[in-house]
This record gives sequence, structure tokens and C-alpha cells, in this order.
Amino acid sequence: MKQQLFSTTLDNGIVVLGERLPGLESAAVAFHLPVGAVHDGPGRCGLATLAGEMMLRGAGGRTSREVIESLEGAGVQWAHSVSTSHSSFAGAMVARQLIPALPIYADIVRRPRLPADELEPARQMVLRNLAGTEDDPAHRTMAALRQLHYPSPWGMPAEGISAEVAELGIGEVRDFVARRVMPRGSIIAVAGRIEWPEVVDRIAALFGDWTTAGDASVASGTRGPRVRHVPHDSQQTHIALGWFAPPYASDDSYEASAALAILGGGSSSRLFTEVRERRGLCYSVSAGYHTLRDHAMAVCYSGTSAARAQETLDVMFAEIRRLPGTLEPAELERVKARAKSALVMQQESSAARAGDIARRWYHLQSMRSLAEELARYDQLSVESIERWLAAHPAAGLSVVSLGREPLEVPDDVQA
Amino acid sequence: MTFRHERLPNGLEIVAEVTDDALSTSVGFFVRTGARDETDATWGVSHFLEHMVFKGTDELSADEINRRFDWMGASANAFTSEEDTVYHAAVLPAQQHEATALLAAMMRPALRAEDFTTEKLVILEEIRMYDDQPPFGADERCRAAFFGFHPLGRSVLGTVESIEALPVEALREYHRRRYAPGNIVLAATGAVDFPALVGTARRHCGDWAPFTESAPTAGVVPGRGPGQSVFEAIVRPAATLAYGVRMSAGPAGDDPERFAAKLLATVLGDDSGSRLYWALVDPGTAEQASCHHQDFRDAGLFTTQLACDGADATDLLEQVTDIYATAAAGGITGAELEQARNKLAGRVVLVGERPRRRLFSVGLEWARSGHYRSVADDLAIVERLSLDDLHRVLAGWPLHGPAAVVLAGPGGSADGSDPTDPSVAAADDTQ
Repeated sequence: MKQQLFSTTLDNGIVVLGERLPGLESAAVAFHLPVGAVHDGPGRCGLATLAGEMMLRGAGGRTSREVIESLEGAGVQWAHSVSTSHSSFAGAMVARQLIPALPIYADIVRRPRLPADELEPARQMVLRNLAGTEDDPAHRTMAALRQLHYPSPWGMPAEGISAEVAELGIGEVRDFVARRVMPRGSIIAVAGRIEWPEVVDRIAALFGDWTTAGDASVASGTRGPRVRHVPHDSQQTHIALGWFAPPYASDDSYEASAALAILGGGSSSRLFTEVRERRGLCYSVSAGYHTLRDHAMAVCYSGTSAARAQETLDVMFAEIRRLPGTLEPAELERVKARAKSALVMQQESSAARAGDIARRWYHLQSMRSLAEELARYDQLSVESIERWLAAHPAAGLSVVSLGREPLEVPDDVQA
Repeated sequence: MTFRHERLPNGLEIVAEVTDDALSTSVGFFVRTGARDETDATWGVSHFLEHMVFKGTDELSADEINRRFDWMGASANAFTSEEDTVYHAAVLPAQQHEATALLAAMMRPALRAEDFTTEKLVILEEIRMYDDQPPFGADERCRAAFFGFHPLGRSVLGTVESIEALPVEALREYHRRRYAPGNIVLAATGAVDFPALVGTARRHCGDWAPFTESAPTAGVVPGRGPGQSVFEAIVRPAATLAYGVRMSAGPAGDDPERFAAKLLATVLGDDSGSRLYWALVDPGTAEQASCHHQDFRDAGLFTTQLACDGADATDLLEQVTDIYATAAAGGITGAELEQARNKLAGRVVLVGERPRRRLFSVGLEWARSGHYRSVADDLAIVERLSLDDLHRVLAGWPLHGPAAVVLAGPGGSADGSDPTDPSVAAADDTQ
């Protein structure tokens, strides 16, 4: 299958990416703006999220309500999120709606009204969402792990911190949007049944004269402690472990993510087999790879009842230690098969493709075709993964537990 | 897209929606059995059996099943609901036979006692996991309150007590009765080689003995839900927000009005852009306020979900009722109808191009009704719906009428007073 990938950079720095998927009836667009939780600033955690919410509340000639109704009236399945490094405004729709939808997004991105009377509702929405995450033990556990593992502000929670969100004013929201939302570093990705020349022309017309200089600086801090227990009155104790992995742009990230997939990536993985299938210790257990642009993390997660949490943690440690030197070719073949088929099936969703090509560009500053990606998986060997494991032993683990009682963490895993 | 259908002599039905240029193939066994087919003594057995199906056959170990799925690059899983148990795999087209044959083999599991003992621990963990999460059991409790003694009121997972008490023999007996070929549909979507699919089914399912006794869906027709309102509260001191679930009667799965009911729920309570959204979510009053229509073979309901501060919960539940009453009195506008129709049509198209999503539409519909609806059929239905259709549903199934309401939250102010019972407080609804 020959992929139809396109890219161009406008004079103001906006990168426009496209993938034509003629077998689909839909088209999707993803605006990847270079403003995220890392730009919040000290004591201002949640500013990017509040600003993103405010950008939807009136833009160009449209009121808050008209923004949503114009998208939904055109049948656009819209989504908005703020992550560590980005704000994303996305939409998936029947293909013929893409060109008419672009001016709405242009208003949101370039001409948000940021009305003072919408600040309080927007703040309340952010605070309610934050309260909702407090009730999600798995989410809290992973958020705590990111904060432990990544140097500040790369691990700060994008959803914000209540006490800090409560202090934010309309002036700083407006200032933040004016300074941080800018063309340089922005990526606009479209995928699906698209006509590339038409899309590029339209995007150039809507965004080509955008010239905000902007400020992309990030104030970096330090890492927190390595081990943390979060007291929570729940039946289950949630466990998350994190340790070094190379960021996606680094070539050996493939070795790292394959090693982690063997450890805990599928139902034949070691953690699933040893923790759940053999011992019945839990319902969910997994290992995986999480990446930012300059930092990444190997992650293990499990949730199990308090009485069996220590045993679960001990088995997880044992499997992490056992991994180097014991990889089997059949394990790698299964990981390759799963990765390849996931990559191919992603081509069936315009929304997934638009998001994916935008993210990859952010990491690599280039497009990577499916064929290149598959070829890189073919290069993986037991030897190359073993070499990576030998050079990067799982050490200095960050350990989070959330539940009624803290767990015992052996000294050697913290070293 | 073309639709194909075949029936084996033992009763197994095979259906496929074939899209030649699709990149993947999805295949699934849809067993017409679920929580409503259980008794007090077998509560949770459908879901337990779903887990046990992955524990192997006389020839295949659980590890071997897991390895084979991963080796195929399959995205394989299963789920159990009130009426269906579904085993499914999405694979690249070259793996169609392997995936189908493996799923077929799994439908005749060994059901070993030692696996049963280990898996019981996993299921108890699953129950605890959901119990620790929003809405903290309010959804299951609300369905129980809505359906009363009808088996649709049974929670799918069962309870810690019912699972601990379940003997392996009950599970084996349930499998013998419910997994007869005449009670199973093999469905496939995407790039399906239909003759090959039928061939695989003949080879691997053809010798399944038909069960002579019919396996009817249990339960009497529940009518239109509770005649009077029911209110319950669940107190979770550790919860940050309060979670409300409200259920009122709606068109059933065999009622032509069910399509209008789904469009109506989109107007009133879609996650964004709906009446509930503008009244409660956009102002930041509620974290969530949404409504959807769910149907079973012979029953249907409108479910409203609310998440908000505990102190606001009672007021907001009243506001929800007022919003429904206003809609019933004043009707829906043409603009609202148009927006909801465009939204639903967009969703139909987006789901339609993903074989792994279409599998559930095609398989569940055939298992329920023996009918097939294409994406074009669904679009035509959405297109035809009018204001009159919505108003007829509003009049016939008043969402502001009698309802079961359950509120789970930190307690104290949930119903305006401190519940004296720390676990459950029951009271009549205020409306």
C-alpha cells in the first residue's frame, strides 16, 4: 500500500501535514499548538488548560455557543485537550465538511475573544474536571508518577492544581494566549479523504498572515523524590513504577518500547502471564512506554486489593529484574506482529492519523512513513534489545502507590 | 459493502458485512446470553464464563491462546452485557482463518476447576476496581431500582458474595445450556473472505451439537419501569464529587420509536452542545450531565448521568427534571433537530469506516433481531426523523416522569440531611 503523505511549511513557521486516505468517507484535522502545561509557570498550574477552555468560549464573530453550534451543526466530532507540551483542537467529520470547518478553527486559534464574563464558568469547568480526576485512582497514580519521574515542569499535571487555578485572572489568561499561542511550532495535520492542494490553499489563506512572534521558553526545575505513597480510602492499592527510557526521537526508542512490550504489552506478556494469569493477583497489569520530546519513561502499572498489593509489587520487580538476558525470539515476533497490525489498522481512522502525523512531526521534525516505521520494526532483534537492556538497566525507579497503606520498596530499586 | 448470511445445519448463524478494500478484518462470536439469563444462584456466571473461555480448551492452554492472538497481531477481547456475551478479534485480512479458528475453539472451553479458582480472584479484583471508581456503583444500583425483580436489574459482574459462592459445576452447566450453536452468531466485518469464513466455521463449529431444549431469554416484559419514583443514596466518604444516575422508561429494542429516542437523547443530553450541556456543564456547575437511550430486547430506558459537587446534587437533579419537563411542554426546535441529526450522521459515517466498530453494530443487531442495517440504512433513518417523531417520544415516554434515581457521593448534604445509615439511605424522590 502506497501512502500519500504531504507536508509544507508556511512562511510564518506553521507546519501543515497531510495524509490522503481515499478509502475513507471522513476527514479529520488536528491543530497542535505549542502551548501546554510546561508553560504554566510556577504557582500557575492549570493556566494552559484554562486558556484552552477560554479559547473555545467565543472566537471571531461567534459567541461561545455559536462556536460549538457551528461545529456540531456541521457534524464535526470535535475534541480539545491540553497536554504537557501542547494544546490540541481537533475534529473529525464527513469529508465535505472539512473545508467549511477550517475558518471556525482559524477563529478559535487566532481570534479567541477571551471574554471576561466567561472566565468564571471556564474556571469552574476546569475545577470540576480536576475534582473528577481526584475520584479516578488510576489517573491519580499515573499523574503522581509523571511528577516524580520527569524534571519539573515536564511532569506537572496539565489539568492543573485547584488552589492555583482558583487564583488565575482574566488578564493573565489573555496575556498567556497573546504570548504563547503562535505560528512557530504550530502543526496543522489533516487526514482522510482530502484534496491536498485545496487544503493547503485554504490553510495558507486562513493562517498565512498570522505573524505573532511569541514566547516558547520553559523554566526548568528539578525532580521530586523517587518514592511516594498517596493515601486514599479505596479497596484497591494502585502501583506505578517509572524508570529511564529514551525519547521517541532517539533511534533506540524502538528497542526500549519493544522490551517494555515483552514485559507487559499484551496478553502473552510476562507481567500479564505471571501477575494475572498464574497468580490471579489483579485484573489490570501492564508495562509500556511514555514519551515527551526530550524525556521519556518506562512505565509499569497495576491495581489490586490492599492485601495482595505487596506481593503484586514484588512480582513486578522480579519480572523487571528477570528481563535482561532472557528474551526469546518468539516474544519479539509477537511484539512485532502486534505493532505492525496496530500501525496498519490506524489507517482506518482519519482522526487517529491526523493526530499521529502531528505528534510524530513534533518529535522528529519530519514525517515518517508507515513503510519506514515497519522497516524499523523489522530491524529489531533479540540481540539489539538485549544490548539496549544491558546498557540501560532498570535502576533509580520512581515508585508511586495509592491506597490505604504504603508498600515496602526494596532499597536496591531506588539506587 | 455487501451483506452475506449463512446458517449451518446445527443452527450456528454466520453473517458478514464485506468491504473489499478494507485494511483489516474483524470477527466475533456473539452469544445470546448475559446477566438477564442468570438466577440468584448463578449471579455473575455469564461474565465469569467469559473469563474462563480465555483459560483454554482440552488441547490449548491459556498461555497458548494469549500467545496465538499476540502472534497474529490481533486486538482481541471480550465483553459481557445484560443480554450478550461477545468474543472478538481485529486482525489483518491474512489472519482471518487463524483468528476465527482460535475463537471457535475457545467456544468449547475446558472449564478446569483449578483455573476457575485462580480466575475467581481476578474477577473479585475486577469488582473491587469498579467499586472504587465513579459512579461508585450508582449505575448498577439504579438499574436494580428501575427494574426491580426483573433479571435486567442484575449487575453483570455479580457481587463479591455471589462470585465467592459460585461453584464450577454451575458454570459448566450454564455453558452447556447457553453456548449451543443455535444461540450463537459468528459475525465478521471489513475485508472478509466470506466463503473461507463459512469453511472455517464448518470445520471448527460444524460438530457442535445442537442443544435440544430451547434457550429462551429469561424474564417477563418489564413494561415501563417503576410506576413511582425511587431514590437511593450511596455514601462514599472518600469521593470528591457526587455521582447521580437517573433512569426512566424509554422505547424498547423492538420498538420503531427507539431511533427517535436516541436522537431525542442527543438533543437533550449529548456530552456537548445539548440542553443539559448548556444548562449545567458549560457554566461549570456540573462536571458531567448527559443523557442517553439504551435498549434491551423488550425494554428501554433513558439514563441521565450527573457528576457535581455533593452540596449541589439534589438541586441539579431537580434542574435536570425541569429541563426534561420544559422539553415535554415546549417541544424541540428545528435547529436542535438539525444539529443533532448532523451529529449522529457524522458518527454513523466515522464508525462505519472502522470494521472493528462495525462488528458490534452488525453482530449485536443480528443476535437480537436477525436483521442487518447498513451504514446507508442508518443514515437514511437519521435523515427521516422529524420533530413529530421526537415529540411523540417525549409525550409517550416522559423523561420527567417516574424514575429511579441513585446518588453516590461523599454524603452529608447529598439529600439535604445526614443519612443515618452509613452505607445506604433510601427515601422517596422529592418530585
